[in-house]
Amino acid sequence: MANARLLVKRLKAVRNIRKITRTMELIATSRFKRAMDRATEAAAYTKKIAEIVGDLGQANLKFSHPLLQARSEEKKSVLLVLTSNRGLCGGYNGAVLRKTMRHTEDLQERGIDYSLEVSGKRGIKFLNFQKIAIDQQYTHFEDKPKFSEVNELGARFAEDFVAGKIDRLDVAYTAFETMSRQSAVVETLLPLSNLSSDEGGSSNVSSSVDYEFAPSAQEILEEIVPAAFHAKLFKCFLDAAVSEQIARMVAMKGATENADEMAGDLKQQYNRARQAGITSELAEIIGGVAALE
Amino acid sequence: MSDTATGTVSQIIGSTFDAEFPEDGLPEIYNALKIEETTRGGVKVKVTGEVQQHLGGGQVRCVALGSTDGMVRGMTVHDTGQPLSVPVGKGTLGRVFNVLGDPIDGRGDVPHEERWPIHRPSPQLEDLSAKTEVFETGIKVVDLLTPFVRGGKAGLFGGAGLGKTVILTELIARIASAHGGYSVFAGVGERTREGNDLWLEMQETKIGQTERSVIEQTCMVFGQMNEPPGARLRVALSALTMAEWFRDATGSDTLLFVDNIFRFSQAGSEVSALLGRMPSAVGYQPTLGTELGQLQERITSTKKGAITSVQAVYVPADDPTDPAPATAFSHLDAFIYLERKISEKGIYPAIDPLASSSRILDPQYVGDHHYQVARRVQQTLQRYRELQDIIAILGVDELSEDDKMVVHRARRIERFLSQPFLVAEVFTGKAGKITPLADTIRSFEEICDGKWDHLPESAFMYVGAIEEAEEQYKKMQAEG
Repeated sequence: MANARLLVKRLKAVRNIRKITRTMELIATSRFKRAMDRATEAAAYTKKIAEIVGDLGQANLKFSHPLLQARSEEKKSVLLVLTSNRGLCGGYNGAVLRKTMRHTEDLQERGIDYSLEVSGKRGIKFLNFQKIAIDQQYTHFEDKPKFSEVNELGARFAEDFVAGKIDRLDVAYTAFETMSRQSAVVETLLPLSNLSSDEGGSSNVSSSVDYEFAPSAQEILEEIVPAAFHAKLFKCFLDAAVSEQIARMVAMKGATENADEMAGDLKQQYNRARQAGITSELAEIIGGVAALE
Repeated sequence: MSDTATGTVSQIIGSTFDAEFPEDGLPEIYNALKIEETTRGGVKVKVTGEVQQHLGGGQVRCVALGSTDGMVRGMTVHDTGQPLSVPVGKGTLGRVFNVLGDPIDGRGDVPHEERWPIHRPSPQLEDLSAKTEVFETGIKVVDLLTPFVRGGKAGLFGGAGLGKTVILTELIARIASAHGGYSVFAGVGERTREGNDLWLEMQETKIGQTERSVIEQTCMVFGQMNEPPGARLRVALSALTMAEWFRDATGSDTLLFVDNIFRFSQAGSEVSALLGRMPSAVGYQPTLGTELGQLQERITSTKKGAITSVQAVYVPADDPTDPAPATAFSHLDAFIYLERKISEKGIYPAIDPLASSSRILDPQYVGDHHYQVARRVQQTLQRYRELQDIIAILGVDELSEDDKMVVHRARRIERFLSQPFLVAEVFTGKAGKITPLADTIRSFEEICDGKWDHLPESAFMYVGAIEEAEEQYKKMQAEG
């Protein structure tokens, strides 16, 4: 019966954990809805911009913009890693960080100098544990990243790139594909090479549209290329936020189920231990009485 | 047979019987009584009994040490005037006996000069040997976490089918074959087939580099499952008496293997109710502690010589709080607990590294370095066990980086505790590994330090020293 007390204690602990995971699941579900709405709204904008740039490309104009130019020799690159501030979201952070590690190893092999910028406490903790130096860290991007905040970052990157301080910008984040599919990716944002390839599926349909540029194509380009870059960067943040909530929903759903199962097992064990105790006590009493007769 | 008195059987209940003697010729407690008669049906009955109680009115109650089949009331009972005695001496080496000390290997009489009674006092306090020395077995988990004591007692606790007998046989193969002294094996209430296997194996196994087989230095005493409870209750004493002679008369280091000491308690419980004792906790005999104490206190090392004993202890229903294993536990120097969860993972020997312990896992005896490494291994495994519930619910991703590292190493340590056995070679196809203590300590230290973090878990299964894990990994890679 000494066992039974221990089982009760564990049972309580498991039930408490279940309460937490269940709550987290519900919170994640509601947050996911909001994040999803934001992402869909932004997606429309990003798509349109990509379309326009794509069309511009098809218009066969001779244009160039510093953000579009790939450097022949890459010396200095920046890797921006988007992780979450909070845990309890399954393999979400682990997957991004694994990609990050592989990418940094790759950069090292190719002899490219890189600086790490990390958003999210989880990523910061992990890299600190691995004793990898972090150059910039951000913890203010919660699950609702503001465009103005992201823009600040983007502006700095664009400036550094144009000035030649950096030759490349990669973002490691979790791309949102569908509700049931998100995958950790490392994407190159600068130089901005293939603006239209990702979301350019619809550009063929609208290719018949003829544009008139006023005041000039070059001037419009000056505006639209940085805007496209900012939109793309912002989309990374939004994708990451949505994916985080989905990951948390799934992880917490699983955790709640596991806890239920475990609580069931423990309860059964406890009942058995209790019953065994009663049976053996009964047997002893009856045996004792029989022996006295 | 020097008869001192003669009586008649007055009652037979299962494996106990009552006999009536004249009031002035009552046999003493523990005296052996003999019945040798032919029934009317022409069946020869030959039973030895041991006096347990004087009931009054000339009645004595006895436990039969053989089958009571065919016995009838009114048979003549002879008092031998002394407790049961067994032949002792070098003539017993290489032979197999039953509880009465009669050879059962079909090789004729046993030459002996002396017979010793099986009931003897335990050695005096002043005669006990006080030195403590580590006894190396070459089994990694045993040497590291539950070092055996030379001249001490080690217990193998485990539920049904966890490999107690296999580990015991392994220890015989490892220790007895490298051992200069004598060995005594007591088979108490286990499968007869296992006893037979062991006997055949001992004839084949050679001692060290010599041409002599292990059996020539060993004597075996069996009272297996098929025997009545009286035989199982006394067979351990018969074997122990023979071992005591080797200790006292030759002064050599003697090994005593007992499989299974739980059956001794069980046999006691079987006859207890028949003897009219009131059952105690979980239906065991009220004299459980006394009976076991009398046996265990005799298995000890004196200034004349040492008895190192390894005992298997069955744990009913995997519950170590059951009175029989719990009582046996307190007598032992090294305590090895076999865990079902580990055997379910396919890790053998299925020794629980946290529940098992040894009296001499102490810097004073094993040295600081060994102690520190053992403690680190235990801490890692302990932390892993604490995290297990969290991992089961939330998954390994939710752990902190430190804890992830602990889990990473603990899972490797867990697998590294497995080891191929000499006696299991035919089944596993892997040669048994004897790992020297120094290699064991170094290997575990390096795992704890993280030197082998890069090897996959499966590389740690069934290897000896850590270098073999690396070899195994390379082989696995080569095979794809």
